[in-house]
Amino acid sequence: MSNLVVETTSREVPIVRTGEWVDVENGWLDRRIFWQDDIYALELERIFARCWIFVAHDSQLPEVGDFLTSTIGQDAVIVSRGEDGKIHTFLNSCSHRGNRVCFAEVGKARRFTCNFHGWSYGLDGGLKSVSRPQSYDGKSNFDKAKLGLHPARVESYKGMHFACFDPAAPSLEEYLGDFRWYLDVILDNDEGGIEFIDGNIKSHLKCNWKFPAENFVGDSYHAPWTHGSALIAMFGKAPTMRAERSYHANVNGHGWEFGLDFIGNAATLNSPQIIEYLRGQETKFAERLGKVRSRMVGSLSSANVFPNLSFLAGHNTFRTWNPKGPSETELNTWVFLNANAPQELKDEYRRGVMLTFSPAGVFEMDDGENFENCTSVNAGVVTRRQMLHVGMGLDSQIDHDELKGNVYQSQINEANQRAFYQRWADLMGAETWADVPVR
Amino acid sequence: MNQSGQVASCDNPAVPIVLLLEIQQFLYREARLLDGEQYDEWLELLADDIHYWVPGVQARYRKDVEKFSAGRMAYFDDNLEYLKIRVARAKQPNAWAEDPPTRHFHLVGNIEVEITENPAEWTVHSLILNNRHRTENDEMEIKARRLDLVRRDQDGSLKLARRKVILQQTVLQSKNINTFL
Repeated sequence: MSNLVVETTSREVPIVRTGEWVDVENGWLDRRIFWQDDIYALELERIFARCWIFVAHDSQLPEVGDFLTSTIGQDAVIVSRGEDGKIHTFLNSCSHRGNRVCFAEVGKARRFTCNFHGWSYGLDGGLKSVSRPQSYDGKSNFDKAKLGLHPARVESYKGMHFACFDPAAPSLEEYLGDFRWYLDVILDNDEGGIEFIDGNIKSHLKCNWKFPAENFVGDSYHAPWTHGSALIAMFGKAPTMRAERSYHANVNGHGWEFGLDFIGNAATLNSPQIIEYLRGQETKFAERLGKVRSRMVGSLSSANVFPNLSFLAGHNTFRTWNPKGPSETELNTWVFLNANAPQELKDEYRRGVMLTFSPAGVFEMDDGENFENCTSVNAGVVTRRQMLHVGMGLDSQIDHDELKGNVYQSQINEANQRAFYQRWADLMGAETWADVPVR
Repeated sequence: MNQSGQVASCDNPAVPIVLLLEIQQFLYREARLLDGEQYDEWLELLADDIHYWVPGVQARYRKDVEKFSAGRMAYFDDNLEYLKIRVARAKQPNAWAEDPPTRHFHLVGNIEVEITENPAEWTVHSLILNNRHRTENDEMEIKARRLDLVRRDQDGSLKLARRKVILQQTVLQSKNINTFL
């Protein structure tokens, strides 16, 4: 964008002053974090090259050789099921001249071979062979063992595989912390766990990646207003969100806003079969999860695992917001359901998500508008000087007997958004993981 | 290569020119109704058992060419009821993405009509270019290949009974699809 180039020459030298960018205590955000090139570049370094990023669910890569391609920040990666049966993640860029070695989004392979000079890598990213190996003489320091595709760490939680490029990052277990207890609501409400439905939907939004991520981490406030048209089209009115039976909860910047209404989200899928299934499992959910968490399985809610993995319980959709620039984001959408659920429910969930939360869905259609315009207005220098207010529910933190992490009363709240930006500021301001506090 | 563009047989006899013109006019009229957001009239063109399908497209290697199996993710996999819900949203005064309205543009071309085993149904191939402008600078463009089944209804009118839309883009270069393709 040409306006950005002009802007770059006149702006201050980039210094990490995260206290200026994010004032969590009083609920203010500096709009430059949604616009500036240098801040975005630092996000790629300190957020995406450092955090655990979701790359695949186990069910997407069932057999040895199954692979998909993805991105961690703007780093292109291959995610594959190796001959050892494990999931591997490594850069999709040849060690010789850097060309991509895989051009398919999904598939099955035994090797990833570069089109340029024929360097060929295994399912674990290791260099297996090159063309004309005899041409590398004794002095050429050619060592196959050192020329594999740069790997990321891969760790998993209940079938969800995450990758991380920072050797100093805490384990996934520590990174997720008590948020795992919440994730069990969808990953472990049934002994069979979940599976992803075949295929995915990808779309491009001209927005900063943080607007949609913070929307999912806590913004139920927007739902009745932004999505009034969809709610009226489906139900004739907006559903009621009750402050006394709803919460914001967050751990380490991961957050879930939810009611305890059990089926509020699921009800928008236009499927009596799904409601019937959930009702039929209610007792079982409560046995596995306890009463409170069981009420979250399909409830009015949204959530985000920091930084960019969002999901909706009840709708059963996961999505990632992959940054492509300060004002460019690629949305990747999947649908999941319990592996033990009846097969006929697969189509119900899949079609329900398409009707609601796909680019053509009656809910999501109005979201993209908001995210894009919240971003593009910041081309204005005076506009950019105006702080954004994120101060709802500053006084709403509560102690709760069962709910883990930081808990706040009422899902109409901005506590989770503040926690998201606090985590963002912690990471942006930290030289190493040792400086990042547990939240 | 695009699967739905592959010619299954070259010996499909030409349809009468009057029928060809009638089907062309049917598709052009449909496009104009969509351009004008005349969604109730558009729904009237659909058969009661319509299957309107826009599957997601993935870049894959040739040896692994997409089969577009029925159970995969899609943008639309709709029957008439689902389409009516989408239309109902678009008509709400608080459908914010519709006001100011989109300036729609559906261009239909490469229309090819083939007979089927059913004398009252024809397979119709076409290409579409859908261009949308909104507010001052918002522009989105979708190009796609369509495979339709057009049926002669008992009252003599033509109805759209099946539509499969194969998008050119694997990553949709638009924030939404607030139209039908």
